[in-house]
Amino acid sequence: MADSAPLWAAAALPLLLAPAALAVACADGRSVAPVREVLRLLVQQPRRTRAADALATRTGTVLLPLAAVLAAAVVPLGATPVSDLGDGVVWFNAMEALAWAAVWLTGWGPNSTLSLVGGYRFLAQGLAYEIPHMLALTTAALGAGSLRVTEIADAQRGLWFAVWMPAAFALYLLSAAAMSFWGPFGQPAGRDLAGGVATELTGVGRLLLLGGRRLLLLTSAAMAVPLFLGGGHGPLLPGWAWTLVKTGAVLALLLWLRRRLPGVRMDRYTELSWVVLTPLAVLQALVVAVVVLP
Amino acid sequence: MELRSALLRAALARPAVLTAVLPGATRARLAVERELRARRWPRVLSPAAADLLVVVGRPGEDEPAWLEGTWQALSEPRALVRVEEAADAGAVLDAGHAALLRGGPRTGTAAGGPRPHHASPVTDPGHLDHAHADHMAAHSHDSPMLISGLPLADRADDRDGLRLDRLHVPFGPVLPDWPAGLVVRLALQGDVVQEVTGVELVPAAPEPRPAFWDEPWRRAAAGAPVTRGEAARRRCAAHLDSLGRLLAVADWPDAATRARRLRDAALADAPAAELAYPARRLARRVGRSRTLRWLTSGIGVLPRERALAAGVGGPALEADGDVWRRTVQWLAEAVRAAEACEDPRPLPPGDPYGPRGELTGEQPPSRALLDVLPSLLHGAELAAARLTLASLDPDPDELLPVAAGEVARG
Amino acid sequence: MLSAVLAWVLALCAVTAGVLVFRFDSMARATFALLASLLCVAGEVLLLGLQYLGVVIVLMMTIEMAVMAVFMIMFMMNPAGLMPMAMLHNTRAAAALCAALFALLATGVLTADWPRATGRPPADPTFELGMSLMGPQILTMMTLGTALFATIVATVVLATRRGRYDRWGDDLRAARPDDPARGGVGR
Repeated sequence: MADSAPLWAAAALPLLLAPAALAVACADGRSVAPVREVLRLLVQQPRRTRAADALATRTGTVLLPLAAVLAAAVVPLGATPVSDLGDGVVWFNAMEALAWAAVWLTGWGPNSTLSLVGGYRFLAQGLAYEIPHMLALTTAALGAGSLRVTEIADAQRGLWFAVWMPAAFALYLLSAAAMSFWGPFGQPAGRDLAGGVATELTGVGRLLLLGGRRLLLLTSAAMAVPLFLGGGHGPLLPGWAWTLVKTGAVLALLLWLRRRLPGVRMDRYTELSWVVLTPLAVLQALVVAVVVLP
Repeated sequence: MELRSALLRAALARPAVLTAVLPGATRARLAVERELRARRWPRVLSPAAADLLVVVGRPGEDEPAWLEGTWQALSEPRALVRVEEAADAGAVLDAGHAALLRGGPRTGTAAGGPRPHHASPVTDPGHLDHAHADHMAAHSHDSPMLISGLPLADRADDRDGLRLDRLHVPFGPVLPDWPAGLVVRLALQGDVVQEVTGVELVPAAPEPRPAFWDEPWRRAAAGAPVTRGEAARRRCAAHLDSLGRLLAVADWPDAATRARRLRDAALADAPAAELAYPARRLARRVGRSRTLRWLTSGIGVLPRERALAAGVGGPALEADGDVWRRTVQWLAEAVRAAEACEDPRPLPPGDPYGPRGELTGEQPPSRALLDVLPSLLHGAELAAARLTLASLDPDPDELLPVAAGEVARG
Repeated sequence: MLSAVLAWVLALCAVTAGVLVFRFDSMARATFALLASLLCVAGEVLLLGLQYLGVVIVLMMTIEMAVMAVFMIMFMMNPAGLMPMAMLHNTRAAAALCAALFALLATGVLTADWPRATGRPPADPTFELGMSLMGPQILTMMTLGTALFATIVATVVLATRRGRYDRWGDDLRAARPDDPARGGVGR
């Protein structure tokens, strides 16, 4: 069992994640435009809308990147996470649920219909993706017999969970995009709402929300590695390098999907999620339970 | 101070642009879009995100309130420029960029100092004009309560018969991927459109030339020599423009960009061979997308009989169905037109079939498309409502009065 | 020492956020003040060494408050600070009830004969707590959980105004259900 990283790692985590998230954004747009965008948002003056709940907006925009970084604390780089919590999987899930609150608050705050609808869309999305997502997390934990992320990664020395729990892996990938309301699941900040939750945000607030969303995407893609892709285990390369390579591969897959798919609306996806995907996830958990339990 | 200006220069090297397009300005809009893509300036979705507001076309009033509201919703640093002629697009954008970097007094603004506490006009219920405020007062039993100058929601039955809050929200005219200058007034419950209380266009100066997308047919009707290839090319570009808008609203930026590139290639006189192949590829990729089909079937259903009764023609009539059927219809027509765009035979002057339907009737085809809109949006979710509108894609240019005797000029 | 200080700080924060629930004049703020208070309580549980329970409280309460925000404010179309609204109703009876409840609990805390801690805390306190609370009754708990869930589903089904005859026609033979918005599976 691996130990937690030293204390300074906690301070280094956001510094490591932010450039990585920026790199993901650049890869997404196939240009360096996001770098310029960061600079542009830093010089932009903040602007408030009429009768806004500024406290709500500010809480939401700060909470989103914070939740992403806190979720990343249990993701091991190689074999060592910043904090090797005994209930790492539940912690990850809890932090991601905080993102619900954050996005909804951001949508509610500015007193604007489009951003309000965007906030509600994210809650609807959360209710649609969360049950299969939780079951996928549970399945991985069940396969390893532990909620500790490093132990789940260690349980895959022989065979990756992605190989013998493909449905759980696929469901996890879907929810990785959904929880970061990005790509095909980007409707809460969709074009048809002129930016949805981000419609009225300016300057640093906008940077925090859009950056926080990239951080969430990065974190959830990185979490797929210890959960389903064998963590840092692999031949030749050191553990941290394998983690990076596998995270990159998951992100590349998500970016490719982004190009192939239009935005998924929840009025259609919710029924699919509850009627097809949830039973599928339960079945997958059942199969794993039958295999694992003696 | 040096550092500050260097930072500003770097940050604004490619300013974020929001376009506000007026009816009748399709030529200028296409020029601006081409120019922005060549410069790789990002286009943003809302005023809050923008540095540079580009007004495309000529407003019909001096200081339109919607424009003032949009301008107030931009935060500093900001600039406003107006593009009236397609040929000026590059120069005007340069001027706007220079004004942004100067950071001094803004160009072309209506008001003096910045006014904080202002929501953008597309979203702010406070921007209701007087006519609409009267309308609201007439509908609700008690006069609308105001807080911070904004009216509160009133109540009405929703589609399940529950009595819930509803809010009157004008959509447009400054929305991304939205017909130029269109304002659709919606009564919203949650994100469900309870009813459409008004469909109107912001006033624009009359155009001397016919609507851009109908031009070949109008010119042929006026006796000017027009080839069939020329008309097919314009039809192909018109459908690709509509498809670009629809795919963008469906949140499929990759496919939308493909459609728009192809549209510009068609308008730039690319040879038929170079046009037909990518058009077929686009049609294959979009037309065979099971996800898009799953997401767009069953919304905005306009059966043939209803379309005929409403006077709707063109692809919307031929498609005889939902958003998906109309998408497939556009794709098929665009491919056919791309293949025919070098046909040298003259277009018969009586050919009435423009990109949106028959042009010989009393009313332009877009009028019928707008008329049928309220009944299609009733009870639809907001996302579905936007897809429905984008899949009909009325062309506001057609609704502008054309100065007489100028039709033949092109 | 540190944990004692932390426990007091969290307790104060929890009570303050709890008071704020009734001071705010907006449903959204009240909901999220309640969430803040519950998160502080989760912190207390974590301090007790019940890691799993603490994290689960964070998870459950966040989702619960988010869903509550939907239910409370859903279809109230006045966003943000537009609708000031008192969070206090029936103040006198509520105050009396609260005072009585507080007195009861405080009496209980002060007069109960709390057992002294003996031995060392177990390696996994959550596991031990679970065993001692409902070790022999886990079958009962599982049955109860399923029954509760079935009750929720049944209530929703009974509350739905539209039945299958509305959706599928009188002979249940319609090709597609007649719904205000088509779902994703077509069923």
